[in-house]
Amino acid sequence: MSIMSYNGGDVIAMMGKNCVAIACDRRFGIQAQTVSTDFDKIFEMGPKLFVGLPGLATDTQTVAQRLKFRLNLYTLRENRAMKPKTFMSVVSNLLYEKRFGPYFIEPVVAGLDPKTNEPFICSLDLIGCPMVTDDFVVSGTASEQMYGMCESLWQPDLGPDDLFETISQALMNAVDRDAVSGWSAKDYVIEADKVTIKTLKARMD
Amino acid sequence: MRTNNMTPEWMDSEVSTGTSIMAVEFDGGVVVGADSRTTTGSYIANRVTDKLTKVADYIYCCRSGSAADTQAVSDIVSYHLDFLQSETQEPPLVRTAAHLFKGMCYQYRDQLSAGIICAGWDKKDGGQVYSIPIGGMCVQQPFAIGGSGSTYIYGYVDSVFKTGMTQEECMKFVTNSLALAMMRDGSSGGVIRLAIITQKGVERKVIVGSDIPRFYEG
Repeated sequence: MSIMSYNGGDVIAMMGKNCVAIACDRRFGIQAQTVSTDFDKIFEMGPKLFVGLPGLATDTQTVAQRLKFRLNLYTLRENRAMKPKTFMSVVSNLLYEKRFGPYFIEPVVAGLDPKTNEPFICSLDLIGCPMVTDDFVVSGTASEQMYGMCESLWQPDLGPDDLFETISQALMNAVDRDAVSGWSAKDYVIEADKVTIKTLKARMD
Repeated sequence: MRTNNMTPEWMDSEVSTGTSIMAVEFDGGVVVGADSRTTTGSYIANRVTDKLTKVADYIYCCRSGSAADTQAVSDIVSYHLDFLQSETQEPPLVRTAAHLFKGMCYQYRDQLSAGIICAGWDKKDGGQVYSIPIGGMCVQQPFAIGGSGSTYIYGYVDSVFKTGMTQEECMKFVTNSLALAMMRDGSSGGVIRLAIITQKGVERKVIVGSDIPRFYEG
């Protein structure tokens, strides 16, 4: 039994033209048993900044709360919204503090710069090593499947609607090959002026 | 314990038909059903597996547990039944098939991980369902459920089952039960495969996608 696949779950983030998208499955399970189908793994950290926290569910909740705490204090002190790149460093720092007894999550960050609206995505491992890419990042129990789907489906400079389709198909087909992920999905498409949240009807098995 | 973390988890995991299987007897035959998911660890190796295996013209078995073990055992039982048919010049009895399964599963109980439901139709006793769980006991039942997904539907099947159901009612019963099990069990899913075995022969059906019944989805 692996700790990272005890609860199951996946997150993908993709880069588009002046937009980003982040999506997660919604299953909460205990090994093979599905307990609920509305457990979101993506949390809003700012009007255009989202973080996905797949992995052990208890750590998903705890890290989301602790990150929000640190972000709130930053916002109060600096009196401005945090940039996504800075947020990545905050996540990295929080995780490395627990280097020898880590949180069992591998986060994904997606957002737009508050001032310039430049899109940004990155992922980190469970002890905080950051990786910034300009195409897509994946994390979770179906990561191998998601890599395959993303490599095939992603293209640069997709508009918001095309990006939504691409990320949805990549996530849904990947989790259909994973016994501990799926049971519906949620997509966030983040543009300069709005965030579109869609819940996807998916296979419930 | 995984000492090597360079390879993905599924490369060191045994192939298992996690599973939800079921069989119900009615007057004139049986309905057998199964999901279609095979997993190696949490990777779904096959999402359209056929777990309903023919062992004789009118006798099928539903397989759960280790894919290798159940395939090997059902191949051997199928051979024995075929040989018996040549000797007796008659189709084999369902109880014979069930006892052959029992014999193997009991004798090799320490080495096998196989849960089997053997069901079919014969001229002598009509439709019959035999349950051969892990350990190798054999018991005839009006209906049987098995596999990891069956644990989620014991209450449902006990509350819905009634004697004297028609073929259509049995098919609905199996379909609804398996749909509920597939929803809750991570090791079960895919499509619902049915086989209806009567004097007329075997009718195979597959229920896919939006035809699979949906219930409360939390």
